[in-house]
Amino acid sequence: MTNQEILSVLAEAAGNPKKQLHHHLSQGRKVVALAPVYAPEELIHSQGFVPMGAWGADLELQEAKAFFPAFICSITQSIVELGIRGAYEGIHAMVIPTLCDSLKVLTQNWKHAVPSIPLIVTSYPQNRGIPAAQDYLKSGFVQISEKLEELGGTPFSEEALAKSIDLYNRHRKAMRELSSTLGKHPRISARQRSDIFKSAHFMRKEDHLELVEGLIEGLSDQESGGLPHRKEDGPASRTRVITTGILADHPRLLNILDETGFHLVADDLAHESRQYRTDAPTGGAPLDALVERFCKQQHCSVLFDPGKGRASYLADLATRENARGVIYFMTKFCDPEEFDLVPVKRNCDAAGIPFLSIEVDRQMSNFSQARTALETFKEMIEQRRM
Amino acid sequence: MAEEVRKKPAPPDPDSARFKLGAIIEKHYREVHEAKARGEKIGWCASNFPQEIFQTLGVKVCYPENQAAAIAARGAGQKLCEIAESEGYSNDICAYARISLAYTRVKDVPEQNMPLPDFLLCCNNICNCMIKWYENLAEDLDIPLILIDIPFNTGYEPGPDQIAYVKAQFMDAISQLERITGTTWSEDRFREVMDISNRSSRAWLEATGYTRYKPSPLSGFDLLNHMAVAVCARGTVEAAEAFETLVKEYKEAVEKGTSTFRAEEKHRFMFEGIACWPHLRTTFSALKNRGMNMVATIYADAFGQVYQDLDGLIRGYCSVPNAVNLEKARDTRIGIVRKTGAEGLLVHTNRSCKLWSGFMQEMSKQIGESCDIPVVSFDGDQADPRNFSAAQYETRVQGLAELMEARKKGE
Ligand code: SF4
Ligand code: SF4
Repeated sequence: MTNQEILSVLAEAAGNPKKQLHHHLSQGRKVVALAPVYAPEELIHSQGFVPMGAWGADLELQEAKAFFPAFICSITQSIVELGIRGAYEGIHAMVIPTLCDSLKVLTQNWKHAVPSIPLIVTSYPQNRGIPAAQDYLKSGFVQISEKLEELGGTPFSEEALAKSIDLYNRHRKAMRELSSTLGKHPRISARQRSDIFKSAHFMRKEDHLELVEGLIEGLSDQESGGLPHRKEDGPASRTRVITTGILADHPRLLNILDETGFHLVADDLAHESRQYRTDAPTGGAPLDALVERFCKQQHCSVLFDPGKGRASYLADLATRENARGVIYFMTKFCDPEEFDLVPVKRNCDAAGIPFLSIEVDRQMSNFSQARTALETFKEMIEQRRM
Repeated sequence: MAEEVRKKPAPPDPDSARFKLGAIIEKHYREVHEAKARGEKIGWCASNFPQEIFQTLGVKVCYPENQAAAIAARGAGQKLCEIAESEGYSNDICAYARISLAYTRVKDVPEQNMPLPDFLLCCNNICNCMIKWYENLAEDLDIPLILIDIPFNTGYEPGPDQIAYVKAQFMDAISQLERITGTTWSEDRFREVMDISNRSSRAWLEATGYTRYKPSPLSGFDLLNHMAVAVCARGTVEAAEAFETLVKEYKEAVEKGTSTFRAEEKHRFMFEGIACWPHLRTTFSALKNRGMNMVATIYADAFGQVYQDLDGLIRGYCSVPNAVNLEKARDTRIGIVRKTGAEGLLVHTNRSCKLWSGFMQEMSKQIGESCDIPVVSFDGDQADPRNFSAAQYETRVQGLAELMEARKKGE
């Protein structure tokens, strides 16, 4: 397939999760949905399910209002909205971690709002550095595995889990590689970049991996990646930036990033690269590897981060990727991100890295403020360059 | 979470529970200031962090949540919230956290000062917001942060794995605190602290239990004030004695037929949530004027942990109100409504507290159905005065009064 063809397959998958779900179901596959931010995907995969991300959708909230007050993030609210409207029909379970207060609330509302779809809770430990945390997480995974079996999954098998871990490690590696490749290809738009990451949540990892590997190869072949210039301008004038936050997948927002002339050279979005930063170690018992992978994970707003490592991580990432600025996509009503915003901004300011935060929401309809902010930000960066 | 906010009664009777409770709070702040002045290391502590740890080690701490409540009740909540917002904090963040983070900037707030800490004790059994708030405090002040992570209980009871995980952190927190403060753990002293804490909790539970009398010998709003002592000083003999005095007073009041609720008790209701500290007078008057006495609150049980051993202690901290699932939270409240004979439920949809308010709609609906009582909610905030509308509150309270009235008449 050409790069262009791969990109359209991924865009199609990113834009039609429902179609993906029906495709999986029509193939006789069992599907389990995963709410943000983390899930033991390898375990779920190893027991014969297709894990599909469920990060809500851009829609108007109606039914969810009977459960949530307005000041809970629209990601969690729209998950319940979709659930009540039947968008998840056919899935075997909804997996929700209790990593933030809104997700805790989501677990409870889900049970009563969508009683037809069983809930599986992942209780992750926050004190990840102590051995007791690993024991706790492991026993939690064992319980999840038993539940998966009850729901029609295959019994737990070390061998199957080892295979799934291997697949997921390869996929993570490919996604990291792809991200750095995209940093060299300003012709890939923000929208296309987002589609690549977003589609990973909906497709089987086996299939996604194949396409991503094909894309990496195709892009390394030729400088242009065989892709046309973007109509707005020449690649040289694009401004290299990194993004951070929970998610930024609204097509209009992405189009504005493209139109204002940004090149996303790396990201620290929970929905995108945070998923792929940490591999599971190989060699030991596979379940321990899965536990270790979670406990090693760092620099994320929903994980205890006592030294605010995320702030220095972002500054380092910006320097490493030769980025000229950091854009913080602030999901409205997201506590963890609202707290992190202040130290992250302070640290960028101290390091002389231009910083912009933009409020985003699953119910966003007016983008003119975002556009103005991005245009001003771009001008500001360009003036510094001169 | 609470603070003595009323004006001092004059002349004070030094033998009254009220005097004793007030004195405990004063002593609490004084002692921590004195300890700081002596050069001891002092901490800031989350309201539901296991107090037995620092009580045993003889280490002094104070509570940002209590401080924030006091600041808000004395009228400076908005000012402090705005300082935090000017630092870049969203006004969607819990107002206690905003006030506390602002305090580390200005360092002097006459409404309620507290010495700056040398370490932080964080426990997320009431919310994960706590983790982020304390991370930022630790970063701003460049001091160590000890976290006891208590995962939200999605099952009805905490399982053995959770108890083991929390217990290991309990032990770990002790060694960290020993290292930071140069103190030494004593098992004997620990047992003593557990005994005192149990004694305080039993007395607190007994005292709060007096709202079951009709009419109640106390105005339930009193509990919101006394609660500060349950938070700050549960492990001290003074607190145990003060609560025992409270029990004695309530007992006498029942015998004499008197009450601290200075109106005819026409309706008895349950109040759900933290008080609106900046609008305490408004919120209380609207109720009192209609003869509505709050006889039920989850706080009564929240700070009344009685346990036999370390496992029981851990289980208690794993089961505080915000740490348990909807069914357990609901059933506990249904129990309280039944025990106290509450005839209605007034829910404070607290803009600050996502966890508390996030599944309250469904839960209060279930409580209302199960107890066959009307449920009414209003929008407010525990510390940011901007998130409250007196007009809406009045209307909702009136609505609840009418619903309760109608039921009495059998309509
Ligand atoms: S992390 Fe933020 S965006 Fe994600 S569920 Fe929690 S509050 Fe919502
Ligand atoms: S979020 Fe809720 S539980 Fe947490 S500190 Fe604020 S008011 Fe208390």
